[in-house]
Amino acid sequence: MTKIIEPKKQSNIFKRPSSETGIWSWITTVDHKKIGIMYGYAAFFFLLIGGIEALLLRIQLASPDNNFLSAAEYNAMFTMHGTTMIFLAIMPISAAFFNYLLPLQIGARDVAFPRLNALSFWIFIFGGVFLYSTFLFGTAGAPQGGYLAEEVSRLGSAPNGGWFGYQPNAGFKYSPGTAMDYWAIGLQILGIASLVSAFNFITTILNMRTKGMRLMRMPVFTWMTFAVSFLLAFSLPIIAIALFYVTFDRQFGTTFFLTEGGGDPILWQHLFWLFGHPEVYILILPAFGIVSEVLPTFSRKPLFGYPAIVFAGFGIAFIGFGVWAHHMFASAISPVAQAGFGLSTMVIAVPTGVKIFNWLGTIWGGKLKLNTPMLFSLGFIGMFVIGGLSGVTHSIVPADTQQTDTYYVVAHFHYVLFGGAMFGIFSGLYYWFPKVWGKMYNEALGKIHFWLMIIGFNLTFGPMHWLGLQGQVRRTWVYAEETNLGFWNLIVSIGAFIIALSILVFMANWIYSKRKGPEAGFDPWDARTIEWSIPSPTPVWNFSKAPEVKSLDDFWHMKYDEDEDGRPVRKEGADALLAELEEEGLNPSEEIVLPNPSYFPIILASGLPFLGYAVIYKMLPLAILGTLLILIGSFGWGTEPLEEEFMEDLENE
Amino acid sequence: MSVDHKPHPKPAQYVQIALVLGVLTAIEVALYYTEDFVGVFTDPLLIILAVGKFVIVVGWFMHLRFENSLINKFFTGGMILALILFAIVMFERAAANFI
Amino acid sequence: MSDSHSYPHEPTGVETRKLGFWIFLSTEILFFGTLITTFMIFKGRDFPGIKLTDVYDIPFTSVSSFVLLMSSLTMVLAHNALENNDQEKTRVWLLSTAMLGAVFLAGQIYEFTEFYHKGFELSSNIFSSTFYVLTGFHGLHVFIGVVLLLALWGIGQRQKGLSLDGGMNLEFVALYWHFVDIVWIVLFTVVYLI
Repeated sequence: MTKIIEPKKQSNIFKRPSSETGIWSWITTVDHKKIGIMYGYAAFFFLLIGGIEALLLRIQLASPDNNFLSAAEYNAMFTMHGTTMIFLAIMPISAAFFNYLLPLQIGARDVAFPRLNALSFWIFIFGGVFLYSTFLFGTAGAPQGGYLAEEVSRLGSAPNGGWFGYQPNAGFKYSPGTAMDYWAIGLQILGIASLVSAFNFITTILNMRTKGMRLMRMPVFTWMTFAVSFLLAFSLPIIAIALFYVTFDRQFGTTFFLTEGGGDPILWQHLFWLFGHPEVYILILPAFGIVSEVLPTFSRKPLFGYPAIVFAGFGIAFIGFGVWAHHMFASAISPVAQAGFGLSTMVIAVPTGVKIFNWLGTIWGGKLKLNTPMLFSLGFIGMFVIGGLSGVTHSIVPADTQQTDTYYVVAHFHYVLFGGAMFGIFSGLYYWFPKVWGKMYNEALGKIHFWLMIIGFNLTFGPMHWLGLQGQVRRTWVYAEETNLGFWNLIVSIGAFIIALSILVFMANWIYSKRKGPEAGFDPWDARTIEWSIPSPTPVWNFSKAPEVKSLDDFWHMKYDEDEDGRPVRKEGADALLAELEEEGLNPSEEIVLPNPSYFPIILASGLPFLGYAVIYKMLPLAILGTLLILIGSFGWGTEPLEEEFMEDLENE
Repeated sequence: MSVDHKPHPKPAQYVQIALVLGVLTAIEVALYYTEDFVGVFTDPLLIILAVGKFVIVVGWFMHLRFENSLINKFFTGGMILALILFAIVMFERAAANFI
Repeated sequence: MSDSHSYPHEPTGVETRKLGFWIFLSTEILFFGTLITTFMIFKGRDFPGIKLTDVYDIPFTSVSSFVLLMSSLTMVLAHNALENNDQEKTRVWLLSTAMLGAVFLAGQIYEFTEFYHKGFELSSNIFSSTFYVLTGFHGLHVFIGVVLLLALWGIGQRQKGLSLDGGMNLEFVALYWHFVDIVWIVLFTVVYLI
């Protein structure tokens, strides 16, 4: 029996929530594992929506002069596809990994601020719902000199100025109606969520490490989380202010980005990409971390050049702040800036290359076990190298000027963000599946998923390279028959549906294996890091007592010695040790104090969308309601202790 | 909470620091009115004075100089990053408008 | 935080909440940095209509800047009093800090209305927009600070008074307040004097 001791029930505004199962246990939870799982499902839901939007785009482009979507609908779909995938799918799915794994990898019981963690999650949910409520409430009128007003509709009114919101196109004149306001304020809300979680993760990594877990003993995934948190913390404030300006321009008649009022549209591009480029690394670094965990495990070798990978990660994060203007080579920026940013873009390829060689060094001569997570990681390396190489071509300014706004760019960033980030994420989803659910996924279905996905992916995005170089313009709803682009566009669209099919296989595998999969045991991979030294699924208290870490890859060194050739030899007592660890992990011998669930994070978070609506519709009652919810949330939060005082409950044993 | 920090100043010292801050502010305002005499040195002097006041408040009132160096690194790091990034943006915009 | 369990904490030697709060302040630099940068970029430009320098009232703003600066002193004295567990003095200094903050805010409201009546509106020109958004964003921070100070003062009325442990305690409100003050030190020079 466990020794979690029942808290004395206190109350300030509400009675403290106490359910351990059912919907309320999820709504009020502050447990990093539950929050991580919720992040994962919510992000996957948005991934599906973003995917459907992409399929609609591809149906439209499957044949020349197609009429499936109107121009207005096409604009709305590509805007929402980009916004959804970046802010509502990949970022939160990375946050799911951070939440679930970070405390486990550093041997902590929870993150530094558990309720703040719940707050981040709920702000993210409310931000996503707010953004998507544009389909119900938003309006998108006809811009001056643009398509006809009657074309707008059918799908509801969604933001249509692109995920980058370039000004003045996304201003009130060319994007009339409220849809772009939903976009600006929605991103603002989502930004708060990420900012809060960034503070939380930085402090967690610095201050919640267990005994002996020095910085240079942390798993690489934890290191990459650390780097991502810094990127978030220092880049999101910039976009927050820029989005304020957009909202002011659209709602209160200012002209920050409008030339007719003396404003500067290029300033928007600077501020947007000052955030936007670090954002690229925010999306890709978590995948770097995941791959750096998976490859050593299935190569049965330590990660090649651990310090190099860590420092390269931080090198990327740091230089990532200094390359933003390469997104603006076709804008009116000065030639000095073009030269400087071209150079820095070449430089950032160096730490990235270092990582690639580290991964290759890791699998070199290893005893590879090619199961699903490993396949996805290997796929990641291949696809990411292609995306990285096409990325470096953008650093040559004259070449980039040719490629700007063509499908070549679309191919490049999908190779990086899908072939890179998403392959890494799928690798991680399979790799940690047994840890989260205690069951094993179906290997055959996993492999089918991988092969379908990598074939579909290359069919979709490979041809875009030459389509782009042949001059197909991105963000355009139709192309003429005479351009002869029809064949490859059809192939691309077929590829997109193969990807969709592979996602269905993944979902089937997930749903089936979670219920019916064989028991996984707590160390199915013979893994290296300490999250595998505890039972699966992870008990609520994580570690029954604080582990003491003696080296990098501590769990591996508990199980293995090296012979004189450096080959691993399993220790004699290893199996007994594992049995002992499992026994211990399920039956903590000391009293465990966990943070209690709370209503206040969700109450506080629920105030933000009302403030958003209040700005759009200039309705004071909504503003008051939003402020009230935030005040109630903060007051209750402030007066409620994190952990209730505990009474010894002796009958529990 | 942290165990090993140096002792914080006493109230009397805080008042002295505040006096210094007040005097610096007075000099700033005076500089604004004597711009015709001081000429090109006015703006640099004003910036130096503002930086001085900034450092005094952060160092003494916010106790940064008595804190663990880790905090110092974060704050200074954020400061330097912001200065570099925004300097580049400002120069780039100035250069682009000049041409 | 209860330490009945043997779980280790804080290998850096810095209290977790303090570390988190300083990281928050470090990112606030980027918030204000973006606003100030925008202000500087538009400062050198020609724009139609009334000029900012036509409406400034430097003596008035100097006084309100001085008020805000002195509120930092009362804040640090409140912190010091609480460190010596002098509840009475803590409350007095807290209230005076909140009052000084309120005076500064009242000054800003007066200044905004004066400017407005002189025809210097939010959307008059690009420069007035940056002015109002920049100083208004700072004013919002001061307002939140005053609310926090008053909340602390209210909590301090209770029987057991204030303490330096637990949640959003006086130490963090003090850090926040000083931060708002240093932002104004920069703004006063950049916006008004240069």
